[in-house]
Amino acid sequence: MNLYAGKMLVVDLSEKRVSVEALRKEWLKEYWGGWGLALRYYWDLVSPEVDPLSPDNALVIMTGPFCGTLVPLTSRLCLVSKSPYTGTVFETNTGGAFGPELKFAGYDGIIIKGRAESLTYLKIINDRVSLENAEALAGEGIFETERMLKEKTGFPEAKTLSIGPAGENIIQYACIGTESYRQMGRGGAGALFGSKKLKAIICRGTGNVKVADMSVFLNKVNEYKETNLLTDANLWAKTDGTPLLVDVINGMGILPTRNYTYGTFENKEGINSDAIKAAKQRDRACSSCPLACGKFTRINGIEIEGPEYETLCLAGSNCEISDMEQIIRFNRLCDDLGLDTISCGNTVGLAMDLAEKGRHDFGLRFGEAEEYLKVISEIATLSTERGKELALGAKRLAEKYRARDLVVEAKGLEYPAYDPRGNYGMGLAYATSERGACHLRAFTAFAEKPFDIESLTRKVVDGQNFNAIKWSMSICDFWGSVSREIMAELLSNGLGDSIKPEDLALAGERIWNLTRLFNVRAGFTADDDVLSEKIMNQPLVKSPHAGRVFKKEEFEKARKSYYQLRGWDDSGIPSTEKLEKLGLSKI
Amino acid sequence: MEKILYAIPDLCTGCNRCVYVCSAVKEGKFYPSRSRIHINNFSLNGYSVPSICFQCPKPECLKACPQEAIYKDGNDIVLVDRQKCDGCGDCVTACPYGMIEQDEKGLAYKCDYCGGDPACVKECASAAIVYQTKDKAMSKLRALQMKQRIKSGGSSEKRSKIGRKMISLLKS
Repeated sequence: MNLYAGKMLVVDLSEKRVSVEALRKEWLKEYWGGWGLALRYYWDLVSPEVDPLSPDNALVIMTGPFCGTLVPLTSRLCLVSKSPYTGTVFETNTGGAFGPELKFAGYDGIIIKGRAESLTYLKIINDRVSLENAEALAGEGIFETERMLKEKTGFPEAKTLSIGPAGENIIQYACIGTESYRQMGRGGAGALFGSKKLKAIICRGTGNVKVADMSVFLNKVNEYKETNLLTDANLWAKTDGTPLLVDVINGMGILPTRNYTYGTFENKEGINSDAIKAAKQRDRACSSCPLACGKFTRINGIEIEGPEYETLCLAGSNCEISDMEQIIRFNRLCDDLGLDTISCGNTVGLAMDLAEKGRHDFGLRFGEAEEYLKVISEIATLSTERGKELALGAKRLAEKYRARDLVVEAKGLEYPAYDPRGNYGMGLAYATSERGACHLRAFTAFAEKPFDIESLTRKVVDGQNFNAIKWSMSICDFWGSVSREIMAELLSNGLGDSIKPEDLALAGERIWNLTRLFNVRAGFTADDDVLSEKIMNQPLVKSPHAGRVFKKEEFEKARKSYYQLRGWDDSGIPSTEKLEKLGLSKI
Repeated sequence: MEKILYAIPDLCTGCNRCVYVCSAVKEGKFYPSRSRIHINNFSLNGYSVPSICFQCPKPECLKACPQEAIYKDGNDIVLVDRQKCDGCGDCVTACPYGMIEQDEKGLAYKCDYCGGDPACVKECASAAIVYQTKDKAMSKLRALQMKQRIKSGGSSEKRSKIGRKMISLLKS
């Protein structure tokens, strides 16, 4: 097969059985790969009411059609399941090099079912696949797990996906780590591995990926790389990476600061791109990426790839920490222990705010790094009372301390680092995302009219549909200028077929609607597509948009027009006509 | 020899585009395990170390070949005559850098500088692989790399061990 490996690995942990099945070719032209294809597989595997942490839940890990080729920025690997954190269907993806390794081993993806009796790892050496005892790895961090697995199996070039103690302890915002500093971060993928007693997957692949005509394909890839990718629209990723956003978002007045109280950070110089550059050792890249947005930093002997923008904000400005060394320490602990820095930073920020407001004292204070660093391992290992409480995540912590007015989350997933009070599109994007508050579904932060509901609603719908197909091609966010036309042409050349951009547009909309169908059947309603109280009632401070809120009535107006544009009814349920048009009426 | 290939580990981002393009050009598929250039990623330390064929002045592979299938061309590039190769693998054992390997038929293959226009160099966005005339600083780095020789184990094991050694040298 061209582009695809043509096989899926199926792992049943309860039955201790591994098998290989042919890729469902009939789904490819409707769902393509990555998010879409994983979602289609997942839809068939579970009932939407499934308990995410039960053996009945399944995980689908999937590569995209360009993974393992020279099409740049296409090595992302995605996981689809039901999130233990939000109860929604969710997709989370990571860079690195596991995706290509899996494809070279001969598989487009992995389906994982059941639950192992004891801690287990999955070993994939091309067609030799086995479940192995991982008890010697119990409690180890991700860094040590990666090292030990490579040593134990004797494959130093192998790639791994693994969890740290946070995942083993089923902390609901635990992540899966790969290549030391890259993660499937949001939504609790690490807790899913933990619930299945799956410590890690190690993979070594020495096979190949074919295309229809290599010289034609290489010319096409090179053309788009030179004329589209390596242009001003994308080169910020090479020169600065995501830390560039600190100054940009601060300038817009929507940089979350002091638990989403201010829109600017007075000590931003401590956490911006210049601060990263001062600590930078080298640029780092995912497999096949010429941009190398990863900035490897070192301060006082502490090293990390990162921190990225979201961490600089949520563990930085939002906790009023401006000492880069401490943020690097925070980030490194989260990466090793296996916690999502966005959820963790948000939760710690909330705990600081609770102390500030005199509601509960966790020993955490805005601007103070010592306890903020200590609490990370307490969360991951559940070793103290406050660790156990912060392990609940921001929403549940707020519920426990009657602090709904202080938390920012949608469907239980904390907001990322763009305050919607200064950009209403981000609010609508957070409220309508299938996995809860997320900046990787629709992103309107750069919209010219940040309060114009009509144009923003259109942007949110278009962004969600576009990203649904982009993540199904497993293309990285940072190829910002890629179009459906480019994807279609690269697919056509790779497959030796004729693919139309319109087909990809329809697929994007189909994938988005399928997530909606799942969530509706899982019990979600329009009442879950909402903003946090804080955003509706408490005005933004220290921002060009100071005094602004996103009023409930205005938001509901936006949501209504969003549903209409989507062809959904007032309860947010897709109409029969829409489902028919998308080929989803019989699903 | 006018130009030679240099690898500069400090500039390598680990993207592996050199590996992808090498295999695409040589094998007609994206086939990293058959690339003539290799990258070892040491993600935790933030380093990636390229392994290249040095086209050694006194090639161990050439010396080891009982069939005299390995020879130097007019530009001092070490080449394999695959008609003469009988697949014994002595060259693979002999190369202290893990840079000559055998295909599924047992026949040896290695880097040939793409006949003077290396595909890997064109694909490298960070100038970690360069093809240029000799210069002093680069030759020093190259000499340091050539000194790291591993005699035992398979090719990928040799490359990985050399990569580790290079990191500690670069750090110090």
